[in-house]
Amino acid sequence: MAHSSHPGRIGTANVGSLGVDSRKLGVWTFIGSEALFFAALITTYLVFAPVNMARADAQNPKEYLDIWLTSVLAALLLASSLTMVLALAAVRRGDMKLFRVWLLATVGLGFSFLGGQVYEFTELYHHGATLSSSLFGTTFFVLTGFHGTHVLIGAIWLLSVFFKVQRYPDSPETVMDVELGGLYWHFVDLVWVVIFTVIYLI
Amino acid sequence: MAIAQGHVGHVSAPPATTVPAGLAGWLSTVDHKRIGIIYMLAAFVFFIIGGIEALLMRVQLGTPENTFLTPDFYNQLFTMHGTTMIFLAVMPMNVGLGNYVVPLMIGARDMAFPRLNAMSVWLFILGGLMLYFSFFAGGAPNVGWFAYAPLTQKPYSPTFGVDYWILGLLLTGVASIAGALNFIVTILNMRAPGLSLNRMPLFVWMQLIVGFILVFAFPALTVAQIELLFDRHFGTRFFVPSQGGDAVLWQHLFWFFGHPEVYILILPVMGIVSETLPTFSRKPIFGYAFVAFSGVAIGFLGFLVWAHHMFGVGLGPLANAFFAGASFLIAVPTGVKIFNWIATMYDGALSLTTSMLYSIGFIAMFIIGGLSGITLASPPVDLQQTDSYYVVAHLHYVLFGGSILGLFAGVFYWFPKVTGRMLDERLGKVQFWLMMISFNVTFFPMHIIGTDGMPRRIYTYESGMGWDLWNLVATVGAFLMAASVLLFLWNLMVSLRRGAPAGNDPWDAATLEWSVSSPPPPHNFDQIPVVHSRRPLWDHKYPEHAGDGHGASAPDPLVAGFEQPAIHLPSPTYHPLILGVGLTTLFFGILYSSIPPLSISLAVVGLALVAFAIVGWVRDSHKDSPYAAH
Amino acid sequence: MGTRHRPPVRRLLYAVLAFGALALAGCSTLPASTLDTYGDHARRIHELLVPIAWMALAVFLVVEGALIYTVLRYRRRAAGTMPRQVHGNTNVEIMWTIAPALIVVVVSVLTFRTQAANSQMPADALKIHAIGHQWWFEFRYPEQGIDGADLVTASDMYIPVGRPVTVQLEAADVMHNFWVPKLAGKTYMIPGKTNYLTFTAEQPGIYRAVCAEFCGEAHALMRFRVIALEPAEYDSWVAQHRVAPVIGGGGVLGGDPNRGKELFLNARKLCITCHVIEGTGAKGIIGPNLSYYGSRQTIAAGIMPYSPENLERWLKHGYEIKPGNLMSRVLTRDWIAANLTDQDIKDLVAYLDSMKVNVALPPAR
Repeated sequence: MAHSSHPGRIGTANVGSLGVDSRKLGVWTFIGSEALFFAALITTYLVFAPVNMARADAQNPKEYLDIWLTSVLAALLLASSLTMVLALAAVRRGDMKLFRVWLLATVGLGFSFLGGQVYEFTELYHHGATLSSSLFGTTFFVLTGFHGTHVLIGAIWLLSVFFKVQRYPDSPETVMDVELGGLYWHFVDLVWVVIFTVIYLI
Repeated sequence: MAIAQGHVGHVSAPPATTVPAGLAGWLSTVDHKRIGIIYMLAAFVFFIIGGIEALLMRVQLGTPENTFLTPDFYNQLFTMHGTTMIFLAVMPMNVGLGNYVVPLMIGARDMAFPRLNAMSVWLFILGGLMLYFSFFAGGAPNVGWFAYAPLTQKPYSPTFGVDYWILGLLLTGVASIAGALNFIVTILNMRAPGLSLNRMPLFVWMQLIVGFILVFAFPALTVAQIELLFDRHFGTRFFVPSQGGDAVLWQHLFWFFGHPEVYILILPVMGIVSETLPTFSRKPIFGYAFVAFSGVAIGFLGFLVWAHHMFGVGLGPLANAFFAGASFLIAVPTGVKIFNWIATMYDGALSLTTSMLYSIGFIAMFIIGGLSGITLASPPVDLQQTDSYYVVAHLHYVLFGGSILGLFAGVFYWFPKVTGRMLDERLGKVQFWLMMISFNVTFFPMHIIGTDGMPRRIYTYESGMGWDLWNLVATVGAFLMAASVLLFLWNLMVSLRRGAPAGNDPWDAATLEWSVSSPPPPHNFDQIPVVHSRRPLWDHKYPEHAGDGHGASAPDPLVAGFEQPAIHLPSPTYHPLILGVGLTTLFFGILYSSIPPLSISLAVVGLALVAFAIVGWVRDSHKDSPYAAH
Repeated sequence: MGTRHRPPVRRLLYAVLAFGALALAGCSTLPASTLDTYGDHARRIHELLVPIAWMALAVFLVVEGALIYTVLRYRRRAAGTMPRQVHGNTNVEIMWTIAPALIVVVVSVLTFRTQAANSQMPADALKIHAIGHQWWFEFRYPEQGIDGADLVTASDMYIPVGRPVTVQLEAADVMHNFWVPKLAGKTYMIPGKTNYLTFTAEQPGIYRAVCAEFCGEAHALMRFRVIALEPAEYDSWVAQHRVAPVIGGGGVLGGDPNRGKELFLNARKLCITCHVIEGTGAKGIIGPNLSYYGSRQTIAAGIMPYSPENLERWLKHGYEIKPGNLMSRVLTRDWIAANLTDQDIKDLVAYLDSMKVNVALPPAR
């Protein structure tokens, strides 16, 4: 992405008057916006949860959701945060081999999570929970579906970082590229923790 | 008039990149100045279209029981008028001015993310075009710009209008969030040495605040629109009351975005007059900190008042009281701003240029809009005034008398910088007075007919209600306003060709954009200045009147005090445009989800374009990296 | 720069004039003026508006005055004048931060007092259930019906003077908004949610009312009337309405009411698919209840005064009169041409017109 040729700090071209990298500031701001996006979706879920239960066509999430499956999924995603940290540490050390291993492990865990979610959605569908079956179906699928979409985007982001590093191994921006992808990845994981708590635990 | 010229040092090496000529140069541009111009031109075109829609409505309402328009077409017109003016005219005009001026004001060579900037402008234009395509695809949206549920559901709105409204605005929403993020990073991180936050020009301050408002307010609209889209296309029931959905939830989500949106529209304009008033008074802004922080306060309070659009919805007296109290509070920072502007002019040496006249007109009209807002913030009174023409009057005093008059001030102020030529002042003043009079002739009577019980959004009314005369007056006023806009258009065309050369600093101004040539070179500054005060150029020109009022006079800001970096500009690229086209194609695919073959092929083509653009984008960014091996 | 133009006094003059006009409107008797009130809810709002408007006017004069004075006074300084470079004055600024805050406190206190008064809901209030439809209003009286059924009417809401009325507001399809400017502020009718509005009519009268929230194609043509009667007269209206209507009097427009009734109840003519007339086989509930239609004030939800001629016009040319309305979408022009002769329509009009309630109507306000 763009660099800012800020004067006075030659050699750290992306660091600007605030003392941080511009791209990092941008990603943080973007994460702030995304947080509001999920806040609105989660609020919608919470608003409708009691309304769903009070209706004749209620679908009780407790009866439909498999807490064990999703606990495994949550564990996968949390593990991917760990491997992401390890990938960043490796690239900082300059250990490109381990970096590739950990980064691909992160992406792999992400796709496993998505696979699990596809399985969960299919199961629910066969048990009669769909987008239009109840307020639970409506809010559950849209919230977790959009989270899943973000996991997918995060995984593609990390893959693009992977390929960029392959293509331009000498780029001095590599560490920042990894850090930014990781930042977003951790955010997506964190959102899952909140969603998991709200939907599956409470 | 003192015009400081030739103070910049030697011209260093020209930028490393070559810009293609003609249209290709514009389509592939990543230059914040060109992007700013595209924003402004597109916004002006949409402003004209929105104005024509307004004129058609005024013809229909000029006489009672008129049959000039069919009801459904009238309903499409008021929906498109509101949506256009807010999302496609005033917002992008603010963004365009900011795009052009902010980097120049803070001593930067471009925005932080030039390619993202290009993507924003194309997405805004494509989103607008997609919205307008609805007219040729079965009918425009006809549900009002805030699209209350459940009227927007398929059974009540069976055409594709609402889908175009959702998806077109989602595109402009992506553009807005990306643009806001870009402004935030640019302003926080690209300032010239010494340009601390408390020395930033107030226009930059307001753009920064708006950036944050946008980033935090837009997601609520995005979520609401996505949920509505799913209701209409995929069988969900978020806003379907008969199946347990919640019509009021739409209002909460919409106004959580919608009220901050008002400040998105007005704060940059408050920034504009905070630049023009000091310049044309030859004084510094009175109470810089108060003006800046009242902007912050307005931005913050803006998130706590959304339900004052919903007093009639039945949220209960306690909720209404809270939102009323918070809304009243906004009067305080707004009042502070107005007093400080008047104090800035007080004891000044005023030159009543067109830009200054528009700034004064802005204050005068915004006061009226603010005062009529007080009654609307009081829940009991609101119950009589909301959804009546009183609200129509109020919002136009804020958004036309406020935003648009202020934007005219900004356009007259910065046109010389952008084009190198002056707009004609005589034409400008005639246009100003015509505008001021016709604006009031159009909108003041609406207070009266609203108070006399005329509801908004009606395509016809019966005679004998006491509304006939004032409606006719408003219609006449609207055509006079149109004449004023035509006069401006004429001024624009004449001045572009034959306007007097502007020079660097035609207004004897204080901020950095006036220290460079008009129009500025592609790299903006041959030498990045070092800033020591709020008025770097002023202090350079008038060292004996320099400083921020703290006694110590500052060193000359325009003498470089450090090792200058090499000028390095990003290369032109089509990838942002391709990304925009790809995303738009994908959105058309979603819109026609009911026709699977069409839908899937559009989505596949769209995704392919997006993927292609992203790969190219990554290449571009690597190529432009200062470390890349050329 | 150019200083040779007229001062912006015109702006001030115009604004003052317009405010004057606004004040004058207070004395007006326009049919839907919010300043000419006959109900306690609207009156209290008006009483709140007046002090706020005076304060606003005072602020307006002071601030615009300061603005215009400053512009006039400092606009003719010699070119090149260098004014004193004043950067601010913290004390003054604190003062004018506090000044609007004080006004805001006063307005808040006044507001909350009125709000408390206007959200009272006395237990003995008359309960009326108002339902918004695209594009007409239905009124149900749960306490006045017989055998647990509601007393149902449409487009004319009858209420007694002097007794609080609590209207329970609901919507059948999309959002609507219940507004009787001279009696009460507006309140939304929201599908899936119930709202309440309590007010007391202080004088008898026929009051204009509309749907104030955009609700689709014919939103502009969704109106009704509130008819406030002296209590005895209101009781008489209720008593008469509790009895099923019978054909009374001869035919208008040369129509035969008895034949009209037969047509109305003929399932193939479709009237009874949507409409109710108490005491007959007409039990459709999609459209307005037509019992005692001959006493309606208006036709097609408040858009034209009731008369047999207008009713005939409505039945023949409904779509032109009210675009989008459900009846004309079902009974298209072609359907009518094929199924109803001109005489049939005259007979239907005669039947509907023959069902009347006998009450002395108050003046239109």
